Amino acid sequence: MIRSLAAILAVPLALWAGSDRSRAADVLPPASARFAGPTADEVPDFQRHVLPLMGRLGCNGRACHGSFQGQGGFRLSLFGYDFQADHDALMAEGESRVDLEAPESSLILEKPTLTQPHEGGQVLEYDTWEYQLLLRWIEAGAEPAAQGAVFERLEVMPSEVVFQEEGETTQLKVIAHWSDGSIEDVTCLTRFQTNDESIAEVDRDGEVTSTGPGDTYVVAFYDNGVIGTQVIRPVSDRFGGNAPEIASPTEIDQHIATKLKKLGMVPSEVCSDTEFLRRVSLDLTGSLPTPEEIRAFLADEDPEKRAKKVDELLARPTYAAWWTNMLCDLTGASPNNLRGQAASVTMARHWYEWIERRVAENVPYDELIAGIVLGTSREPGQDYDAYLEDVAALYRENDPADFADRETMPYFWARRNVRQPEEKALSFSYAFLGVRLECAQCHKHPFDQWTQDDFHRFTAFFQPISYGFPPQERDRIRELEKALGIAGKPGGVKRREIAKRLQEGEIVPFEEVYVVASRMRGNRRGASSRSGAGRAVTPRVLGGDEVTLAGYSDPREPLMEWLRSEENPYFAQAFVNRVWARYFGRGIIDPPDDMNLANPPSNPALLEALTRGFVASGFDMKWLHREITGSLAYQRSWKPNDTNFLDERNFSRAIVRRLPAEVLLDAVLQATAGPEELTRFAVEADQRAFGPRQRAGTGRGNANYAERVFGRSPRDTNCDCSRSDDPNLLQLIYLQNDQEMHAAIDRRDGWVRSLRKQEEGAPDALIEEAFLRTLSRRPNPEEHEASNAYFEGSKGAEEGLRGLLWALMNTKEFITNH
Amino acid sequence: MATSWTCDGVRRRDFLKAGVFGGAGLGLSSFLRLAEAGELKGGKATAAIHIHLGGGPSHLDTFDPKPEAPEGIRGEFGTIATAVPGISIGEHLPRLAACADRYTIVRGVSHTLAAHDLGTKYLNTGNRPLPSLVYPGYGSVVSKELAAPPDLPPFVAIPTTPQVAGYLGVEYAPFSTQATPRAGRPFNVRGIALGGGLTVEEIDRRRDLLKSLDQAFAGFESSDLVNGLDAFSQRAYDIISSPRSREAFDISRESSSITSLFGEDPFSQSCLLASRLVEAGVRFVSVSNGGWDTHQDNFNRLKDRNLPQLDAGLSGLFLALEQKGLLDSTLVFVSGEFGRTPKVNQRGGRDHYPRAMFVLLGGGGIAGGRVVGASDETGSGPIDGKGITPDDIAATVYDRLGIDPAKEYHTPTGRPVAIVRNGTPIAEALA
Repeated sequence: MIRSLAAILAVPLALWAGSDRSRAADVLPPASARFAGPTADEVPDFQRHVLPLMGRLGCNGRACHGSFQGQGGFRLSLFGYDFQADHDALMAEGESRVDLEAPESSLILEKPTLTQPHEGGQVLEYDTWEYQLLLRWIEAGAEPAAQGAVFERLEVMPSEVVFQEEGETTQLKVIAHWSDGSIEDVTCLTRFQTNDESIAEVDRDGEVTSTGPGDTYVVAFYDNGVIGTQVIRPVSDRFGGNAPEIASPTEIDQHIATKLKKLGMVPSEVCSDTEFLRRVSLDLTGSLPTPEEIRAFLADEDPEKRAKKVDELLARPTYAAWWTNMLCDLTGASPNNLRGQAASVTMARHWYEWIERRVAENVPYDELIAGIVLGTSREPGQDYDAYLEDVAALYRENDPADFADRETMPYFWARRNVRQPEEKALSFSYAFLGVRLECAQCHKHPFDQWTQDDFHRFTAFFQPISYGFPPQERDRIRELEKALGIAGKPGGVKRREIAKRLQEGEIVPFEEVYVVASRMRGNRRGASSRSGAGRAVTPRVLGGDEVTLAGYSDPREPLMEWLRSEENPYFAQAFVNRVWARYFGRGIIDPPDDMNLANPPSNPALLEALTRGFVASGFDMKWLHREITGSLAYQRSWKPNDTNFLDERNFSRAIVRRLPAEVLLDAVLQATAGPEELTRFAVEADQRAFGPRQRAGTGRGNANYAERVFGRSPRDTNCDCSRSDDPNLLQLIYLQNDQEMHAAIDRRDGWVRSLRKQEEGAPDALIEEAFLRTLSRRPNPEEHEASNAYFEGSKGAEEGLRGLLWALMNTKEFITNH
Repeated sequence: MATSWTCDGVRRRDFLKAGVFGGAGLGLSSFLRLAEAGELKGGKATAAIHIHLGGGPSHLDTFDPKPEAPEGIRGEFGTIATAVPGISIGEHLPRLAACADRYTIVRGVSHTLAAHDLGTKYLNTGNRPLPSLVYPGYGSVVSKELAAPPDLPPFVAIPTTPQVAGYLGVEYAPFSTQATPRAGRPFNVRGIALGGGLTVEEIDRRRDLLKSLDQAFAGFESSDLVNGLDAFSQRAYDIISSPRSREAFDISRESSSITSLFGEDPFSQSCLLASRLVEAGVRFVSVSNGGWDTHQDNFNRLKDRNLPQLDAGLSGLFLALEQKGLLDSTLVFVSGEFGRTPKVNQRGGRDHYPRAMFVLLGGGGIAGGRVVGASDETGSGPIDGKGITPDDIAATVYDRLGIDPAKEYHTPTGRPVAIVRNGTPIAEALA
C-alpha cells in the first residue's frame, strides 16, 4: 500500500489533537476484532453493532428490506434508526427470522448466507466476524437496543487527505463517541461514500484511493453520525511552496488562495472594467448597464471606481427589486399560493412591497425575516372588527393604505400549499435554514443526521399555527355575510363578491393567521396532522433543545429566538451561502438549499468567515454584497488557464451563467428600448419583470410563456431548483423567432422605429450603440466590419439595426453573465 | 368474474367475441407470468397522441352507459350498438361506434381526487400528485426517452396542455401551438411560423451575421452551458428554417381524402394536425379539448357540442392514422380528469366523480374492439371495488412505447423516482 506522506503525518495529528477525550487506550477495538472468534463473552448491542452491520450489508436499503413494502414480507426502517420497529420486525412471531431456540437456524443467518433462498443474493459468509456478531447477539437473547447511552458524535481520521498520485491510498478510521463516555472504533460498521468518483474512490472498509486531480469529500455514516474527510490532489505542480503568490486583499481572497495553493490552481486574471460593470450590474440590479453609463465608467480614472459603482448600484430601485424578488422566491410569494383568497393578486403584491421597502432601507436580514416568521394579521390587542377596517383600507382600489407600513407580513403562513404542519416545517426549514427535511418525513435522512423523530419534534412547533377565518369570530362573519347578501352561497360566489366589495372599500370577512391555543400543549387530539395523531410531542429545534411552549403565546416566538441565537448554525449561513451562489453560479455549499452533513462546504473557512462577518455586521445585507463584489475572486475573468479550466467549486475564475429568466427578458426590452425610456427602464423597477407588477407563478396557457420557458421560479416547491437557469430548445426558438421577440425589436416606441424620425447616416454610431446596449462593450474591428456589411446588404438603417439587434441578442455573450 | 354485466351494454352471448375481460385486470403476478411466457410484447408504438378532455367527461353518457339503471342515473341518452358485437356506447357517438374495432374501452378506472387540478395532474402523469414533487407529463417522459428528428419539436401541445416537464427540467417541456388550426387555412404556430415579416433568406442572413458576432467563447469548450446554448441554437434554427416543420403544421396541405374524415370545428382540426405531426416524426402530441365540466345542463351541452365534436375528431383521427399507415405505430389515448356523478343533479348536470371514469386506448400495440374492466350497475364505482388506476393506464401507455414504466429517474434533489410509481400494464388491453 502506497501511503501519501501527508496522510501519514495527518493521522496522528488529527487522531489525537482534535479529540479531547479519546486516548488510544480508551478506544474500544473494532467489532471485527472483538466478535471474530466464537469464544469471547462480550455481547453485541442492537443499536451499536447489529443494525449498523445490517445497514452495511445493505439489508435496510431501498431496494431491499428498507422498501416501504418490505421485501419477502420482512421490512426494516429505511436507512435504519427505528430501533423498536426493526427489533419487532426481526422478532416477529412465527417468522423465525431470529430463532432463539436454534440460533443458527435464524433466517437472518440462513438467508443472507444463501443456506435458504434469498432474493437479495449472498451478502454474508459463514465464520466471518459479521456472521459471528449476528450469531452471538441471537445466542445472547437478541435483546433490543440498550437504553442509557446515546450516540453523541462521530470522528474520522484523518480529517484531510492530500494525495499526489493516481492510485495512492489511505485508510480512514472512524470513532464513535457515546454519552456514557465509551468510545469505539466503528470503522468496520461504517458506510462510506465518495462525493466525486472521478477524484477519489472509497471501498467498503474505508480505504480511499486517488482517482483524479481536484478536491472532494469522502463521507462516513454510522448511527445518525455523518462526517466527511476532505480529499485533495493538486491539479498541477504549482502547489504548496511551488504555488505563485496570489494577491489577496480581502479575507474572502485569503481563504480562497489558501485552498487554491493546496490544489495547485492558479486563479484567472482580474477582469476588465467593461466585464466588471456588466457583471456587477446584472448581479446587483438584474439590469444591463446603459451605453451612457458604460462610457462614463470607462472614462473614470478613479482607482476606487469599482467600489463606488457598487455603492451607486446598491442605492438603485432595481437593486431593491431584484433582491426582493429573490426573497419572494424563497418565501413563496405568489398569487397561486394564495389562491382561494379574495384578493390573492393584491396580497402577493403587498408581500412583495413589504419586503421591498425593507431591502431598500437595508433593514437587517434577521429583522426582516422576523417580520415574516412572526407575521400577524392583527396589530397587538386589535379586535376582529378593527382588523377588518384595516383590511378594507389596505385593499380598497382608491387611495389604499400602504401595506409596507405594517410591522409584520403574515402571508408566508397563508399559503395553501403549507396548510399542514408538516408542510410548514418543510417550507420553513427550506426558506430560512437551507435544510431539506423531506427525507426525514418518512425515514432516516440518508445523508444527514435527521431522523423521523427530529422531523416530528420540529413539526410540533407548527401545529398551533393556522390561517383562515378565526373560529371564535364565526358569528360575526355570518352577520357580515348576511349583510353582504352572500350567506349560504357557494364558496366561489362568496369570494368574487367579497373581492368586489373589498375593492370598493367595504368591510368584508377576511382570513387571518391565528394560534390554536389548544394545540400549544402538544395535544394532538383532533389535529388535522397526518402523522402521529393522538400522540403528544414536545417540540424540539433541529439539532438542539426541547422547548416547552407553555411560556409562550405563539410557538413562532421560540422558533425565531432560535433562528437568531448564536447556537443556530444554519440561519445566517444559509443566507450568506445563497447570496454567494447568486454571484458565483454555485454555493460554497452546493446546491445552496441542501446543507447537510454529507455535503460539506468546498471551503469551510471561507463560509465560516463570511457568515461570522455577516452576523457581526448586524445582518447587514449591503455589507455582504459589498464584501463579495469587492473581492478579487468576484472580479476575476471567466477566461480559464491550464490549471483552472475545470474548476467550478473553488472560485478561481468567473463561471459563465445563463441570465435568470426575468433578467434576460428585461435585457431584451432594455436593449431595444427607445432612447427616452432606456435609462428609466434600467434604473426604475416599476416596469420590470421582477418589480412590483410581477405575477410570478400565475398564468396558465399563454400567460408568462417566456418566463416559464426561461425557468423563472413559480415559487411552488421548497427547492431552489424551482428556478432553472439551464438552456433548452424552446428558449432558443423564442430568441430566434418568437412573436414577442419580433415585437420587442419593432415596437412602436422602441429604438428601431425611432430611426424613422432621424436622418440616415453611416451606421457606425448605431453599431457601437447596439453593442453597448447588448454586450455592454464596443465592437472589435472584425465585428464592426461584419455589422457594417450587414447594414450594406439591408434596405435602410431600420432593417440593418433590426437584424443586428436580433443577432446580438442571440449571441451567447448576451444570453449569459460572464 | 362478474356475471351481472348484461345491464351495462354487454350481452352475455357476445362475451368472447367482444373480448371482454373481467374486473380490474390480471394483477401483477399473472401479468408477470404472461410477460415471461412472451405473450406480452412491449414497444409496438413509436409515437403517441393524448386527447385530454378537460373538465371531466361523463362516463355514463359516453363509453360506459347504463341503460338499465334508474332514470335519475341513466340519463337522457340511449345507446347504440358498435361495429363490435356486444359493445354499445352512448347514442351521440355514431362515428366512434362505427370504428369501435380500432380502440379499447377501459371502464371502471378509478381514483379519489375530485378536484380538477389534482385529477388532471394524476391523469396526465400517471402518478398521484404530491405537494413536494412535480411529476413530468407523458409527453415530457416520451421526449426524454424517444429520439425525434432534429428539425421537429419532440412534444407538441395543441393548443396547450396541463402536462409539464416537472422534475425532468424545462428541456422536456411541451411546445405549445397556443392556438387551434382552422379548416383549410395555413396554421401559423408560435416560434415556427416566420413572424415579423421574416423570410428564410433574411433568417439566413441574420444567422450569418450571428456566426461572426458570436465568437466570445470560441475555444472555451469546457463549459456545458456554452456547448448547450450552441447545440440548442442550431436545433432551433433547423426547426425554424426547415420546410418539414412548417409543412407538418400546415394542415391546408392535407389531401382531401384525409380532411374529409374530420369535422370543421377546432377539435377536429386539432386531431387532423396531430396526425400530420406524428406523420412528420413528432413523438408525442397532446390535444386538449375542454368544456366537459357539465355541472349544469349536462345533456344539452353534450349532445349539441361536446359529443359531436369528439365523435368527428376522434373517429377521424383513428381513420386518418389508418389511411396513413400509422395506426399500428401510434398509440392514441383519451382521458379526462374524472368521470361524473351517476345521479343527475337538480340543475340537470352531473358533478365530479373520480370513483368511476373511462379511458380509451387505441392504435399502436393496443387490441381493438375490446372492453376492459367494468363499473357496477349504476356506474358508481368499479365492479370489483378496486378498479383500474390512472397508474395502470400510464404503465400501459409507456409499455406500448417501449419505455419501462419502472425505470427510475433522479429528481434535481437526488431523489430516485420511477416513471410510474404504482402502475401495472393492463394485459387485456394489449394486442
